[in-house]
Amino acid sequence: MTDDRPVPAEHSAAGQSDGDAEQPEGERGAAAPSAEGQGFWHGRSALLMPALLTAFSLFLLIGAAVIPAGDTDFPGPRFFPIILGCAGLVLAALLALGVLRTPEPVAETSGRSFRTHSDFVSLAWVVGGFLAFALLLPWLGWILAGALVFWCTAHGFGSRRPLFDILTALFLSSVIYLVFGTGLGLNLPSGILGGGF
Amino acid sequence: MEQLDLLMQGFAGALTPINLLWVVVGCLLGTAVGVLPGLGSSMAVALLLPMTFALDPTAAFILFAGVYFGGLFGDSTMAILLNTPGQASAIASTFEGHRMASSGRAPQALATAAIGAFIGGMIASILVVFLSPTLVALSSAFGPAEFFALALFAFVATSSVVSDNVLKGLAALIFGIGITVIGVDGVSGLPRFTLGLPQVFDGISLVTVTVAVLALGEVLYIASRVRRVKEDLHVRKGEGRPFLSRREFADAAPAWARGTAIGLPFGVIPAGGAEVPTFLAYEAERRIDRRRKLPMFGKGAIRGLAAPEAAGNATTGMAMGALLALGLPVSATAAIMLAAFRQYGLQPGPLLFENSADLVWPLLASFFLAMVVLLIINLPFAQLWAKLLLIPKPQLYAGIALFCGLGIWATSGAVFDLLLLLGIAVVGFLMRRYDYPVAPLMIGMVLGPLAETSLRDALLSSVGDPRVLVASPIAIVIYGLLAVVVALSARAAVRKRMRRDV
Repeated sequence: MTDDRPVPAEHSAAGQSDGDAEQPEGERGAAAPSAEGQGFWHGRSALLMPALLTAFSLFLLIGAAVIPAGDTDFPGPRFFPIILGCAGLVLAALLALGVLRTPEPVAETSGRSFRTHSDFVSLAWVVGGFLAFALLLPWLGWILAGALVFWCTAHGFGSRRPLFDILTALFLSSVIYLVFGTGLGLNLPSGILGGGF
Repeated sequence: MEQLDLLMQGFAGALTPINLLWVVVGCLLGTAVGVLPGLGSSMAVALLLPMTFALDPTAAFILFAGVYFGGLFGDSTMAILLNTPGQASAIASTFEGHRMASSGRAPQALATAAIGAFIGGMIASILVVFLSPTLVALSSAFGPAEFFALALFAFVATSSVVSDNVLKGLAALIFGIGITVIGVDGVSGLPRFTLGLPQVFDGISLVTVTVAVLALGEVLYIASRVRRVKEDLHVRKGEGRPFLSRREFADAAPAWARGTAIGLPFGVIPAGGAEVPTFLAYEAERRIDRRRKLPMFGKGAIRGLAAPEAAGNATTGMAMGALLALGLPVSATAAIMLAAFRQYGLQPGPLLFENSADLVWPLLASFFLAMVVLLIINLPFAQLWAKLLLIPKPQLYAGIALFCGLGIWATSGAVFDLLLLLGIAVVGFLMRRYDYPVAPLMIGMVLGPLAETSLRDALLSSVGDPRVLVASPIAIVIYGLLAVVVALSARAAVRKRMRRDV
């Protein structure tokens, strides 16, 4: 089947590098020299996913229990969610066991080593920017809020041209406002720019 | 030849200037996102989904068809020139395709891929046209028990075949199906899991989940890595005639044919899209190559590229047929198309051909047009498309984030849905970070309601007797096939593990 496919000669494809937990020890050691002695959580942050699945399964089970389904016939509205919740709990336990027995540290491919695999500063910019966009959109209006999410995302991605980004952001959100709001009749909020003072 | 007549009428509908414009726009957009690294056609269709509010159904689906096929062409262009497959279905093309490009035969590789994709897609579209009555007749024999079997097949096959780790695939599936039980229960009319929020009484929109998982989640994942990964963005240049010599053509032709033959059946099997058939086609060519006098694999074998390209597009084309005639999405992209149909209040399946013939046949006709347009814009201009890589990443992904927000605001107009989008996108990011496949989540989200209602309908009609689920021959055949799929993927997993231990 698909198991013995060759790896491209020069370098593995960009999107795949994240899953290379099966690399030989030697290579991984060279990439991240401080792989040992990083404590229990090194490579075990993947426990987050089983935890999330457990929480979701419990949500399904508890939610199913409180459905007021007294007089419905046998496969009622509780039936399916309870199956899902139980399956979810079993899966979460198996996944957690797997992570505990064999941690999955991700090989660092850039040749440098970082404290965490993910760049939380970048992430915070993007998530924060989008959060601000979502909350401020009705008040700021589409043009300003859209420019805000664009600028924060670009900054989070490492753009070092803030002024250029502001101009691009305002240009793009204005174009969208004109095309979709004015042209196609989509209800985009005009906010404080629309005379809301 | 009733089918031909209908198809001709379809062409008449699709060949209006405005619809032709949508075909071309779709093909250009699809190729563009396919070319950009990290973006695939499923993300493009997800981002375009909210645009359905502004277009009439025919125009929207013609646009989607162009994007859908265009993404595949663009993906393979980048797989060859840059060794970065945009979607899993383009991975098999990188092996020999990128080697051809590295050894100075980039134009030939691009031509092989484009022609292969064209042949696979064309044959699949022709088959869809002539098989659709059969598929429709078949699906009318389906009752609740059969539909449940089919949904179960899709669930298990997607989770076990597509992902390396079955447990992770199943976990993603639980998330997907679990989201669909939120909202008012369709059978009993009771609200479930709403936490008292009136915003979720209608359930969580598939559009929100799709854009969150496939677009914004991807943006977050790339943000988490972008400043740490150095990418090799050196595009392999190729000089000379961008076409094949007669010898190369003769060399590739049987591989195109075999790839198409391998890809076609997978279009109607709900096993997660074109990834499996592309690898199968690649493996088949490799085995045949080993027996030849001068094995070419590993040195840029034209056949190793031709077969997976043809297989990928054959599967994709057939998948559209399965979606239209059976209402069954076999891949994430098809799942989003299904969501688009529902946006218009249309339900793909047997009745669609009867009730909306004026939509279906122009759409099928537009497949053929899209193939021709894509061949024209990809064959001579592939090197031009590679110029898209000059768009700086920060601005590109900032634009995508902005469009995610626009799309969700367009469909719902509520801050609540934007927050929901962000929340699910964070889950999507975590899934990518810890290597959980997102395809099972999408399939679960799309087929979850079908699975639940058909299971409950079947059990209600039999007063709780579970034997009703295996009472019909069709259901038994589906479960039998499922057992074969599970056995095969288990065997592959065991072999992989043993090889690793050696």
